[in-house]
Amino acid sequence: MKASDEGRKPAMKWETLCGEREGSLVVEGSRFKYGEIEGDFSITPLDAGCYSVVLNGRSFLVARTPKGELYVKGKAIAIEVFDPRSLRSRGKGGGAHGRQNVTAPMPGKVIRVLVSVGDTVEAGQGLVVVEAMKMQNEMKSPKAGRIAEIKTKAEAAVSAGDVLVVVE
Amino acid sequence: MANRGEIAVRVIRGLREFGVQSVAVYSDADRGSLAVSLADEAAYIGASSSSESYLRVDKIIAAALEHGAEAIHPGYGFLSENAEFAEACSAAGIKFIGPSADAIRKMGSKTEARQVAIRAGAPVAPGVESAITSTDEAHEIARRLGYPVLLKAAAGGGGKGMRRVDREEDLASAWRDASSEALRAFKNGDVYLEKLVIEPRHIEIQILGDEHGHLIHLGERECSIQRRHQKVIEECPSPVMLKHPELREQMGEAALKIARAVKYSNAGTMEFLVDRERNFYFLEMNTRLQVEHPVTELVTALDLVEWQLRIASGERLKLRQQDIQWQGSAIECRVYAEDPENQFLPFPGTITYLREPSGPGLRLDSGVYNGWNVPLEYDPLLAKLAAWGPTRERAIERLGRALAEYTVAGIRTNTEFFREILLDPEFQKGRLSTAFLDEFFKRRKARVADEWEEAAAALVAAHVGRATATAAPRKSASRWVIEGRDESLR
Repeated sequence: MKASDEGRKPAMKWETLCGEREGSLVVEGSRFKYGEIEGDFSITPLDAGCYSVVLNGRSFLVARTPKGELYVKGKAIAIEVFDPRSLRSRGKGGGAHGRQNVTAPMPGKVIRVLVSVGDTVEAGQGLVVVEAMKMQNEMKSPKAGRIAEIKTKAEAAVSAGDVLVVVE
Repeated sequence: MANRGEIAVRVIRGLREFGVQSVAVYSDADRGSLAVSLADEAAYIGASSSSESYLRVDKIIAAALEHGAEAIHPGYGFLSENAEFAEACSAAGIKFIGPSADAIRKMGSKTEARQVAIRAGAPVAPGVESAITSTDEAHEIARRLGYPVLLKAAAGGGGKGMRRVDREEDLASAWRDASSEALRAFKNGDVYLEKLVIEPRHIEIQILGDEHGHLIHLGERECSIQRRHQKVIEECPSPVMLKHPELREQMGEAALKIARAVKYSNAGTMEFLVDRERNFYFLEMNTRLQVEHPVTELVTALDLVEWQLRIASGERLKLRQQDIQWQGSAIECRVYAEDPENQFLPFPGTITYLREPSGPGLRLDSGVYNGWNVPLEYDPLLAKLAAWGPTRERAIERLGRALAEYTVAGIRTNTEFFREILLDPEFQKGRLSTAFLDEFFKRRKARVADEWEEAAAALVAAHVGRATATAAPRKSASRWVIEGRDESLR
């Protein structure tokens, strides 16, 4: 998957986590598919943080707080979406300086730790393999440097944002 | 207006309709409150802590004098049932909008109010009228009444200083807890004992009296749905009265007997417990405007604040008892910044999105706006949402509809929880008691996920994610937890 795909409006896929239920959302043009349901959709922003969503003719008022919490028809819906592509591409940008934390992008389980403290690593080198949403993702080094700290181990459960490895 | 929040807004509105200028008072936390912005004048009275501001008689009187206020409306809570405050108003030449200091004093103490009720011939729950002085005495009285018993603060209200005791071995520690809680909340640690009425309904009678001795009642409000002894849903008529209209008359007459005994004037409320056989027992009196007064206003088409002002200005109450009519049904829910999924713990913070309902048969008494920071120093009541319908069923439908329109984001509120209660068959049948919420939590089913709503939310999240490149994932919000709740609701 490359950035050049963007211009052709390809199908976009997100992994979703609603409470503890995993699922996926696929969007292609004005079509969507979520779990067992699919159809046409349209989103229109109303006042700040508020959207009108029409799904197959069903209308929903969705409010979103700056923290990302979502409310549909006044009811809080604990749903999160993750773009798997951005997870894999994470860490590819070079030129990072100083100590960098490599964090878990979403809740999951550590499958393997690929490096040890003191190892010299290249930018983009895999450090930790995390499984989430039944997908294994390699967390890559954001920079060339040395492993300063490892804050996790195989089999450990991690939450979104947990620091896994520190590279300096 | 010696108060804050939605009731300050309510009274300021009433004053404006009455053609009277209003002065709001505010603490540091309330500088940006809706009440201050709606009032004609505003006076700073101190730091955010209530004891430095809304409970300071001296500061409030000074502010009133400085602004040339002719009268003070105390709202509910804070100094509203404080006889010294009423006296301080009179001493400063300011009219206290409420009953006489003498009536507040007599009815403000629960033990004294019980004695007044007994002398007036109104039924009271079995118990003692005087404060407990020793553990031995408490044990003896409780044994005589039979467990379970209820410990209550003499100066209490809002469930503070109240403990249910089921077993003798728990009595001593419960008494100490109740007493110290009462001391902290009311500066009075007196606690007394009552026989606990099992699964009672909490039904109260609104009364209104002028300063020339004329008293009427405006019927009941049923407030059985409570959490931590605080009402959350109130309605008029009570479902009991719909089946047994004679009960309204009987309880109304009992309430008036007590009110006459203390020469009560202005608005007040007599609270009763009603058991399954429809026996009723006087509980206590609130010598002020109640939080839940809008339901009475909706069914009687009377404006209680307007009458408070008229009565305080010496006007005669022209309404006779036979003039009062009750039309349709009204139900109110108290929208709190709290988390019903976490023991109803208060949830102060900033409202980051607010969409309020409107439309037929609705009334919203709100004290907040989008962007308002709900202070942690005070009761976290945001607003009262009430619906009127020609029948109870219609009122329930309207309230449910309105709650679906109501979005408060940034903080947790109980609006979704109310929607569930309104759909509960027991609620719809009007089978209410103060144990309702305990029972409701036991039979409550996990929420059925609505895939369409989830899809709508997911699409917005994805849409925003694309717009802002990489939105950092966050920890998921608290889950739907059902177990382990019974204890927290006592």
